[in-house]
Amino acid sequence: MKKLLYTIGALSILTISGCSKVLQENPNGQLIGENAITTVSGLQSALLGAYQPLKNGYTSGFASSAVVAVVMGADDLTTHPASNKQEFREMDQFSVTSTNTRISTIWLGCYKTIQNVNNILDVYKKINGDTSKINQIVGEAYFLRAFSYFWLVRLWGNVPLITTADYNTELLSVNKSTPADIYKLIESDLQQAERLMPNAKAAPGRANAGSAKALLAEVYLTEGGYPVKDASKYALAAAKAKEVIDNKSKYNFDLNPDLADLWSGIPKPNGTVEDVFTLQFSATGNANSIYGKSCMPGDDAGWDDYFAEITFFNNFPAGKRKDITFYTKFKNGTLDWTNSATKHPYFSKFRVNTPTPGYLTSATSMSMPLIRYANVLLTYAEAQARANTSAGSDAYAAVNEVRRRAGLPDMTISLSANVFADSVVQERAWEFAGEYTRWFDLVRLEKVEEANSHKDVNDLKPLGTITKANYWLPIPYMETQLNPNLK
Amino acid sequence: MKKILLLLGMLFCFVLYGSAQNMNVNGIVKDQDNKPLQGVTIALKSSGVAVKTDASGAFILTVPSGGTLVISHVGFETKEVIAASGTMDIQLKNHYEKLDDIVVIGYGSQRKKDLTGSVTSISTKDFKDQPVTSVSQVLQGRSAGVQVISNAGSPGGDVSIRIRGNNSIMGNNNPLYIIDGFVGADYSAINPSDIASIEVLKDASATAIYGSRGANGVVLISTKKGRSGAVQVEFSTRFTTAKVIKKMDLLNAADFARTVNDRSIATGIAPTFTQSQIDSFAKYGGTDWQNEVFRTAPGQEYLLGISGGGDKTTFYVGGNYLDQKGVLLNSYYKRFSLRTNLNSQLSNKLSLYINSFVTRQEKNNVNGDGGRWSPVTQALAWSPTVPVRDASGNFTVNDPVSSITYNPVAILLDQNKTEQNTSANILLGMKYQFAPGLTLDISGGTNYINLQGLNYSGPAVSNNLPGASRSSAESISLQSTNNLTYTHLFNNVHRLTATAVFEVQTYKNNGFSAAGNNLTFPELGYYNLSQASSYGVNTAYSNYGLISYLGRVNYSFKDKYLVTGSVRRDGSSKFQKGNQYSTFPSVGLGWKLSEEDFIKRMNIFSSLKLRAGYGITGSQAINPYQTMTGYSNVTTSFTSGTLTSGVVLGNPGNENLKWESTQQLDFGIDAEVFNGRLSFAADYYMKHTKDLLLAVPVPSYAGGGSMLSNVGAMDNSGYEFTVTGVPVATKINWTTSFNLSILHNKVVSLNAGQNKLFAGSSVGAGLSAQPEFVLIPGMPLGSYWGLTYLGTWKAADKDAALYGNVAGDSKYLDLNGDHKIDGNDYHVIGHGLPKYTWGWNNTATYKHFTLNIFVQAVGGYDKLDYLYAAAISANADIRQATIADIKNRYIPGVNETSDIPAFTTTGKNYTQSTRFLEDGSFIRLKNISLGYDLPQSLLKKVNIKLFVSGANLLTITKYKGFDPETTSLTSGAGADVSQSIDYGSYPNAKSITAGVTVRF
Repeated sequence: MKKLLYTIGALSILTISGCSKVLQENPNGQLIGENAITTVSGLQSALLGAYQPLKNGYTSGFASSAVVAVVMGADDLTTHPASNKQEFREMDQFSVTSTNTRISTIWLGCYKTIQNVNNILDVYKKINGDTSKINQIVGEAYFLRAFSYFWLVRLWGNVPLITTADYNTELLSVNKSTPADIYKLIESDLQQAERLMPNAKAAPGRANAGSAKALLAEVYLTEGGYPVKDASKYALAAAKAKEVIDNKSKYNFDLNPDLADLWSGIPKPNGTVEDVFTLQFSATGNANSIYGKSCMPGDDAGWDDYFAEITFFNNFPAGKRKDITFYTKFKNGTLDWTNSATKHPYFSKFRVNTPTPGYLTSATSMSMPLIRYANVLLTYAEAQARANTSAGSDAYAAVNEVRRRAGLPDMTISLSANVFADSVVQERAWEFAGEYTRWFDLVRLEKVEEANSHKDVNDLKPLGTITKANYWLPIPYMETQLNPNLK
Repeated sequence: MKKILLLLGMLFCFVLYGSAQNMNVNGIVKDQDNKPLQGVTIALKSSGVAVKTDASGAFILTVPSGGTLVISHVGFETKEVIAASGTMDIQLKNHYEKLDDIVVIGYGSQRKKDLTGSVTSISTKDFKDQPVTSVSQVLQGRSAGVQVISNAGSPGGDVSIRIRGNNSIMGNNNPLYIIDGFVGADYSAINPSDIASIEVLKDASATAIYGSRGANGVVLISTKKGRSGAVQVEFSTRFTTAKVIKKMDLLNAADFARTVNDRSIATGIAPTFTQSQIDSFAKYGGTDWQNEVFRTAPGQEYLLGISGGGDKTTFYVGGNYLDQKGVLLNSYYKRFSLRTNLNSQLSNKLSLYINSFVTRQEKNNVNGDGGRWSPVTQALAWSPTVPVRDASGNFTVNDPVSSITYNPVAILLDQNKTEQNTSANILLGMKYQFAPGLTLDISGGTNYINLQGLNYSGPAVSNNLPGASRSSAESISLQSTNNLTYTHLFNNVHRLTATAVFEVQTYKNNGFSAAGNNLTFPELGYYNLSQASSYGVNTAYSNYGLISYLGRVNYSFKDKYLVTGSVRRDGSSKFQKGNQYSTFPSVGLGWKLSEEDFIKRMNIFSSLKLRAGYGITGSQAINPYQTMTGYSNVTTSFTSGTLTSGVVLGNPGNENLKWESTQQLDFGIDAEVFNGRLSFAADYYMKHTKDLLLAVPVPSYAGGGSMLSNVGAMDNSGYEFTVTGVPVATKINWTTSFNLSILHNKVVSLNAGQNKLFAGSSVGAGLSAQPEFVLIPGMPLGSYWGLTYLGTWKAADKDAALYGNVAGDSKYLDLNGDHKIDGNDYHVIGHGLPKYTWGWNNTATYKHFTLNIFVQAVGGYDKLDYLYAAAISANADIRQATIADIKNRYIPGVNETSDIPAFTTTGKNYTQSTRFLEDGSFIRLKNISLGYDLPQSLLKKVNIKLFVSGANLLTITKYKGFDPETTSLTSGAGADVSQSIDYGSYPNAKSITAGVTVRF
């Protein structure tokens, strides 16, 4: 009996003496607090993570057809008049509401990446290690922030300018900044990025110094037009694009000579030389859902999310590029688009050649080029012409390089600078059909109204009169609820 | 009611007088379970002649013919019968007011009549004839103030149990479960047959003893113990057949094809189906997806209980095997459990007890919360024109017309989501009595849970990229409780019980998981993950600890005036230093009016008690580490087809987090009249919760997500009524019990500068544009945020054009009059929190038959019917309407009165609107059962009972979905903010059970 009592006594003393540790949190396995990242490899991990919000499935960024939805006001894209496409129709018909979830998908993707970049730009200063590696990481971080703000400023115009990663209540009352202020940050970020990044990409889905220069060229080009309208930027755009063109072998950029290979519908693990900046995907774990079912007709078990406007298709110059861009015969070639359900041609560029017939996939490993080398060439050609009284031979050479690959004859020579530039803009429309470029061109050149005035009888029409207010997306509703200053 | 009672009372008292010849009377006296009673007094009325029954319950007595026998026994109702010839079969009923009923109150026990808190006791007899398989079913509808909702109707599915409303927004509102003293035990695995009693502690004077975990009420479960004497064996088996509670009225294939064509024509595109296809569907039919996914599901259960013991040691052993198939294909729940309770008196001062409970549960495809991937959602999404399988027998993988996702039959058959939960709950304790009344109880307990996950997704549900994963986690919770109790009756008038406890609890969770994507050999599934094109691995760890000191005094004077006071001090590791400790006091007062002479003289009340209580309780049911900002793991691709891991910033931490605390005031009255045949209890309570924890949304431009914060205050108040009576007590004995709870919930205030906070469910991903719920001071929790639907624009409405609409399009309330329907027109459109619940339980016995009827109702709330919304408005993942109601839509020139919108290219349908908000109130026949005890004369020493019962056979509701009770939310932390959304949740089943119980 006494033995038992002693045992009890001993046990209770043990429990009481063990108590000092009971109230201690033991965050095993948790990356927590200000000192969570102390090494170069930790910083690298934060950088890789910072790319993720840009392609986080249907949640954020550019991995789903949200990216198509937000540029659907352009004349190259339209959607199904019924089905489940209400949110896409709003965009195509210029009656976008602040509650549309597609706009918040892009908004969140950009800002979540910006937050993570802001954190990297804060944390790296405390890390000692291989300077070249740290420079690469920091350079890429700057690139990502500029890339994200560039999308935000082009879609929304005035947006909050956030450069801190630390959350505090003051963030709940920030005001919107003007495009001029946003572009100032974008320019300085890209100047840092081109200085810090190496010439070679660390992986096909990442950026190098050439990517930063190419993006900066497009940023300058955009600043030349609406709403900043700083014509002096055209010369900067031309100079920056020229830098990339002149050093294309250094950055391993070029046109892919075979347009059919560029849009083969088969994932290319190593990318192509045309990838200046390309998001990479993996069907399992990090899928691209813009390609595949999303762009296919219901007649072929697709989703009809987006396809080409009829006027755009009809005006598209016939030839190799038109054949590769569009998909016009459905049901194994037996049904012409004119007799199909939606009576529209679809895009062939974004189709997927799946290894297993029957599984028409909506989760693909296809890479998504957001800046192609062709873009650099055409940016150069346009900017060069707009910066000067006439287009130079280099400008002609650049645009003709793209046209030749498309199977088209060279551009007529001796055009006036304006006519040449407008022709290049038209060339961009064809070359980047469906590739989230046309809308921004129309906005910066203030041609949205004009481009939407030639609708085919079978295309969706704007529900009201298009004004400059329709150039910008509404700030997502919930953001304005959390911060009324954004209304 | 009163009249019936009086009438019955008169009948009951009616006595026959006969001649005065002497006769020999013999008979047997039994209890309600037909067991012979020994020592029962049989007396001739007004004579002093009396005998007692022997061990077999038999007696012989000589009395005047027609004389009245008075049969009395302690704990039983006294009965008078007229002496009759032949063997008299006399049954005694338990006394309704068991004077010295002892109830468990947490760290001790108390005489029921001395309670000052609001406590509901549920005993075995309340549910023993019903085929209950879980504690939640036992609690459902049987206690005022306790609301039980089956979130998922799947076997073993998630249940949310709320005692007196929802105190917390963010925290977990589940009550605290104590099983035989183990705090925070898992109640879901318990075999109801092992339960001796359940006590539900509702008010703060009762729950404050559990301090930081007591705010949501406490459920104390005591399991059976052995009794000295002969070994008793009870064996039961039950067989069940279950069907889905309802099917939806959907378009058949031909009507669907016609409707799709109508829409195509109306919106200017080519018709999808040809006339000959439609004719063929009309002739041969199509696929009824509901019939394809639902089945008639069998179930079986075996229960064995053995108890007994000698003078010093007693035991109870309970075993259980349950195998219940779900009404959805390939879903099931299995449970094996074994309980052993041992008590041993080691010496006259020292006793030892061991309670061990080992269980294994296995669930497959029972995930009930629904959403876009749910088989229930997809059964309504897929076109009836598409076959389940193609010509070669493979699953159809594409629906070209309606759904954009997976075949619902494939979701069930080409996919396994198996969870195996093995747990052991062992409690070892010793009681030492230093002196009479002074006892030290030291116990140590452990709860060990091993959780194995086995998941497989076949080609048809993975875009032909079959994947599988395994996960393994173990959690260990340790508890040490040291309880010193002193109890004494001073001078025969002062009854005192004092308790002091020191308790420590720690919790640790450790887990890992591995996944293989795009398996090379899909048929090997999760048994061989090595052959795959990519992998994912993860590990996880968490821990927390709690240290508590508590004391309590129960005092009563002359058994008339009762006082209870308690205080608990808790320290938790979940908060930062400075906020770790908090104190939770309480006081309870009782006045037993029935002991006062002036009440006694009224001669009405056999018992009458007034109660009042006040206390403070807390909630710390948040996850550990919320005070710190961390990173979370992500994987993303940088080379097509491969994955690389990285980290992104998680939700911002909040180092100022502190305890959420609830003050509660309770007033109650307990009364019994007609000698306990009619009893009544009523309670009114007010609860005020401050420092509410809420995951406050962070703007996307600041990184999105949410930050856990203390944001404001909320009130819950309510009334609870319970009436129990025996309206008929003749050959037919009818016992009835009714309880009603009425709840008012209101957000009182939010932090300065905030007039509303939003909370989303994420249930409606792809369907709801915005968070569905809002917290606004003055409004209840679970207030819906959305648009008011005004029907369709009619031809005469000239304003339609201002909105870009035409006649037949949806018309919404334009709150700010800007001719635009957007976020600025959102407002509070309804409330998802039920305002009342009631339960009505009836048991009637006649000879060997027992009939039980149990009805439950929940009401006064709105449900957001996402499933109906998705399937009629062609949104998100469903491209065409499948609900038959679409035939009644607005059709220009044909049906221009309908408020179901027309097919146009100009209309917009918002699911987050009053159009899809429906009254969720329902009244349900939860159980009806009939039992039959085989007459004892047929069998010696063996008692056999047969029964048949039906569950959920009848539901009265206006709700359009499958089941008003189920929702797409879980019972977990933070779920209560988003009440009552239903998007393809697993519906309840209606079932028939037949069984037999053998006792010997």
